[in-house]
Parts: sequence; C-alpha cells; structure tokens
Amino acid sequence: MKSEKVVERTEINYKEQLERDVLAAMAKPNRWYWVALGFSATCFLIGLISWGYQIKIGMGTAGLNNPVGWGVYITDFVFWVGIAHSGTLISAVLFLFRAKFRSSFNRTAEAMTVIAVMTAGLFPLIHLGRVWFFYWLFPYPNQRLLWVNFRSPLIWDVFAVSTYLTVSAVFFYVGMIPDLAIVRRLTTGIRKKIYGILSLGWQGSLSEWMHYNRLYLFLAAFATPLVISVHSVVSWDFAMSVIPGWHTTIFAPYFVAGAIFSGTAMVVTLVIPMRKIFSLEKYITLDHFESLAKLLLLTSLIVTYSYIVELGIAFYSGNVFETAIFKYRMMGDYKILYWIMISCNSLIPLLVFFRKVRRSLPSLLIISLLANVGMWFERFILIVTSLAKDFDPYAWGLYKPSIIEAGITLGSFGMFFTFFLIFTKVLPVLSMTELKEEHE
Amino acid sequence: MKQQYLFEDKAEFLSKLQELKDKGISRKAVTILIPYPLHEVEDIWHPAPSPLRVFTLFGALAGLLTGFAFTIYTAKDWPLITGGKPIVSIPPFIIISFALTILFGALVSFAGFLILTKLPNIRAMMEPEEYGNQFAILINNEE
Repeated sequence: MKSEKVVERTEINYKEQLERDVLAAMAKPNRWYWVALGFSATCFLIGLISWGYQIKIGMGTAGLNNPVGWGVYITDFVFWVGIAHSGTLISAVLFLFRAKFRSSFNRTAEAMTVIAVMTAGLFPLIHLGRVWFFYWLFPYPNQRLLWVNFRSPLIWDVFAVSTYLTVSAVFFYVGMIPDLAIVRRLTTGIRKKIYGILSLGWQGSLSEWMHYNRLYLFLAAFATPLVISVHSVVSWDFAMSVIPGWHTTIFAPYFVAGAIFSGTAMVVTLVIPMRKIFSLEKYITLDHFESLAKLLLLTSLIVTYSYIVELGIAFYSGNVFETAIFKYRMMGDYKILYWIMISCNSLIPLLVFFRKVRRSLPSLLIISLLANVGMWFERFILIVTSLAKDFDPYAWGLYKPSIIEAGITLGSFGMFFTFFLIFTKVLPVLSMTELKEEHE
Repeated sequence: MKQQYLFEDKAEFLSKLQELKDKGISRKAVTILIPYPLHEVEDIWHPAPSPLRVFTLFGALAGLLTGFAFTIYTAKDWPLITGGKPIVSIPPFIIISFALTILFGALVSFAGFLILTKLPNIRAMMEPEEYGNQFAILINNEE
C-alpha cells in the first residue's frame, strides 16, 4: 500500500469552514430556537383544534354560506401553493439559467416549497364537508363503477398539486444526497447511522457524479414547466367558471406571476432571520439579497401590470357584470382590502428601485412581509368579491370569516414555521457541495 | 497491488490523473472519488456519457401515454355527459397527461439514477470510505 499525501494548510480552508458552519447550524438549538418552535407549534395546535372542532360540529362553524361558498380556506390554499412556487423557481429555473446567486438560497427555497405544498394540500381537505371521504378525489371506480370526472378543473388540481409535491420532494432530496454524505462524515453515533442511510451510501465517485449531474439537470428541466403549469391549473379552478371577475384568459399568467412574487417574498422573510441566527453572513451576502430583491421587484411589476390589464379588459369589454365587479372590488364592501393589496403588492415594492432600500435587510424584511400580506388579500379579494356579487342582485350576500377559519389559517402558518424550524435543525441549510464547486 | 493517491490540491490531482491516463492504465482499475463535480476531470478522463436520458425519455413517454389512455378509457367506460362537453374532451385530458408526463419522467429518472449508480449502497451506508474534501484516485491492479 502506497500512500501519497499532500498536506498543505496555512489557513483553515473555505471548504472546512463551510462544513463547520453548516454543521454548527444543525447543532444543539439555543433558547431562541425553542421559543420560536414553541410559538409555531402552539399556533399549529390552535389550527388542529379548530379543525377538529369543525369536523365535529360541521361546516357551519366556518363563515361559508350562500352565495360565498369559497372563502378563507380556498384563499389559504391558493396562497400556500403560491408560496411554494418560488422554491422551484429559485432552484430549478435559476439552475437552468446558471444564475450563481442561487446556491446560497436553493436549499431553503426547496424546503419551503415542499413544506408549503404540504400545507396547501391540506386546505382542499379542510374545505371538504366530510373530510373522511377525501379519497373520493382519487381516480378509482366507485361502487357504481363511476370514475372521477377528468373534465372538472378540481380533478386537474388533484393531479397538478400531487405531482408538484412529489417532484419537488424528489428534487429537494436528490439535491441533498452529497450533502447528507458530508453530514454523515462529520457526525458520530446514531446520527451517523441515520445520515448514512439517508445519503444512500453516496461516495462521490466519478460515475456517481456523472449520473447525478444528468439527473439533476433533468429534474430541473421537469420542474420548470411544472411550476408554470401548477399555478395555471389552480387559476383555472376559477377561470373555467362563468363568474364575473374569474372568467378571464389572463388568469394563468397572472397567478403564476403572483405566486413567484409571494414566494420570493417568503424566501426573503425566511432567509433573513435564518442567516442571522445561524451566522451564515459569509455565505449569504448582501449581493445575494440584492439579486433576490430585484427578482421581487420584477415580479411585483408583472403583478401590477396584470392588475392594470385586468381592469382594462373588464372596462373595455362593455360587459356590465365584468365592469360592475371591478368597480365593486375598488369601491365596494371590501375596498379597504383591495387598497391594502394595491399598496403592498404594487406601490411599496417600488421602493426596491432604490439601491439603499434593497441593500438594507430590515427594509427588505418589511417589504417582503407586506408583500405576503398583500398577496393573501389579493386571493381573498379575488375569490370573495366575485362570489358575493355575481349576476343576480337577489343572490348577493356578504362573507365574514369565522373564528374557526381564523384559527385554521393561523394553524397553517404555525405548521409551516414548525416544519421549517425542524428542517433547519435536521438537514443542511446550505448546499455545501454547490458552494464548494462555485468557490473553485 | 493497491494504490491510493490523495490530493488536497485540485491542480495536482488533475495532473496525476493526466499522467495515469497517458500511461494507458486500465479504466476499470481506477476509482476516482471527488467531493464535488469537476468538469476538468471529464475533459481528461472522458468517461462514458450517462445513459440516464433513456430512462427519462421512457418515463416521460410512458406518463404521456398513460395520461391519455387513462382519461379516455375512464371517460368511455361510463359515458356520462356533464356540462355539455364531449365525452372524450382532449383539452382537459392534455392537462392530466402533461402532469403525468412530468411525474413519471421524474420518478423513472430517479429510479434510473439509483440503478445506474447502484445506490443505495448498503456497505457504504454502514462503513463509508471517507476522504473528506480530498480528491482521491484509488487503483486496484491485480498484477
């Protein structure tokens, strides 16, 4: 056995420092972590209790009634699916475009995607009157040998969302395999065993890398059209109907732009505190945030453009119902929410044009939080106003969310943050392999 | 005879690799372990391209066909007109087929990756050979 070893160490090199810093983030949590986890888990629990109450008492506990049969639950569903979008955008699309700033965020963004789709996937079930029959959504012949109706947009949703969850989970996992092998190397005892199994025994041989690079490229190429299609399908849940304000061809691109906008905002919201808590300033720099901020600004402008086009279409159409619903949105019962939406999504993000603002983390955090608020209201406005005042004045009615709906919405945020906090402690939060590759 | 070369430095590793290649060493005898992908290695060593795309293509086509076959079959199995639409409505079925193309394509690619790389590797799971951030060339010559 002959061994040639070149050991030259004048300084702790970048690679080892990176591994050490990422592993430090996975070490024993401090008090603030427990506080955050406790708070999120409490919110999650409130959500579970509210849902349990709704299942026991019935759907009457939600504020849904005629004519507004879709309310906060569907708003939450669209909101969370939207949040899920930027994960794949940052990860897959930026990978295909070889955008360097991606590697500092992609792991967080992918984790966010998977968790947000899981959260979103619960809402159609919560919205079901009898949740124990949720399996009726799956395509199988029922006792009368009747299959599901593939001409219904709701079934398209089942396929789109479950495909999205599966593919983004595979993409997330595959991207992590070499990093899990690094964690396996640096841990001991039972953790080493667990990460050994999770890493599938990855050794990093040339042939493994060859196949791996191909796989990653193909998965990115699959994920990209999937991102576009999933939110388009979600938008068709609305656009396929004849309800004024919903029945427009602009819906698919409008939803996709909104989804990427809200998702990017959520990445900023999550990464700013994460970078601070785990001292990852060296790997996630201000320049990275600036790139994200520009993406946020770009998508905000697209969203604003959609708002304008939507109004243009409605008023130019000469259709009284279309015109009436848009006037109602701006000046009717829910006008405050409409103007909050315009301020948060279209006006405030314009501040990002200023270099000072986009290089200041506190202001970015505030803008991104407001963007999320704005996007939630956008979905609410869209869903509720169109149903509240459709064609026949005798069928008009208002909708007010009940306390149970508020509890479940709070619970969804609790669930999202609980899972995200667990992610930061059990999986490597940065893509170490990619950062090393980039550093070369 | 077993030989093991470990390098901290990328350039030295690459020159050693070039040297081995020039010597005309048998490819089968050499295992290269690297901590992250390096395109230079491919330029020197010219490994065979990954046949993974065959799996991807097969999976995607299977998904596409399943999507159309399944939707058309179930629609015709109990022809029930809803919303005045034709029984076999191709536009909505495209959506299902599109989703299944991506789903099957991604899953079959992942399965293909596992088959080609022979992962999960139980032995390496339990007792991995670790070289850290070093570039390793392992030579296993029978002579």
